[in-house]
Amino acid sequence: MNGAHDLGGMHGLGPIDPEPDEPVFHAAWERRVFALNLAMGAWGQWSIDMGRYAREQMPPAEYLATSYYEHWLFGLERLVVEHGFLTREEIEARVAALRCRS
Amino acid sequence: MPLLTADRVAAALRRGDGFRMDVDLPPRFTPGDRVRARNIHPLGHTRLPRYARGRTGVIDRDHGVFVFADASGAGLGKIPQHVYSVRFAARELWGPEASARDSIYIDLWDDHLDPA
Repeated sequence: MNGAHDLGGMHGLGPIDPEPDEPVFHAAWERRVFALNLAMGAWGQWSIDMGRYAREQMPPAEYLATSYYEHWLFGLERLVVEHGFLTREEIEARVAALRCRS
Repeated sequence: MPLLTADRVAAALRRGDGFRMDVDLPPRFTPGDRVRARNIHPLGHTRLPRYARGRTGVIDRDHGVFVFADASGAGLGKIPQHVYSVRFAARELWGPEASARDSIYIDLWDDHLDPA
């Protein structure tokens, strides 16, 4: 799809500025999101390319304004709903409950 | 659907997903062939970047047979196709201001290409 992920040739995004000794994860939640993706992928209900397609479907403005592992979380939420592991309502209810607790 | 219990996760991750396919499939192109990337705009997943669509390149090498990612992304399973490293001159992609010496190599599948 012609999404925001297909950045090749786009101007105005600034220089690529690699961090020296960049850690694999910049926060604990990133590690958890990646682990959740691998664990759910192990069910074998979707291919790695279906995982990529799920991340590509993030709305373009949101895609450009969010970080790498936020894309992974968006894609995983889509896939678990599409494949009947969770409903959107269950995810929203859990987010609301966690928000109240913090 | 089999239950994925904690004790089975490590083995499932090690097994992973295979992308190279052991299938005897004749290649549509051979190194040196001139090809044009198709001008396609699928709603699904594709490995053909927008900037290469409709552009002419040369088959540099044949990587062998792999799962066609575009079909796999649509949930169509493991369809075998040759993947080639295709060389595009920078000027073909980016116009006369690009360096005449630079090229971009893109890994593309049979279904991304037509003879040029």
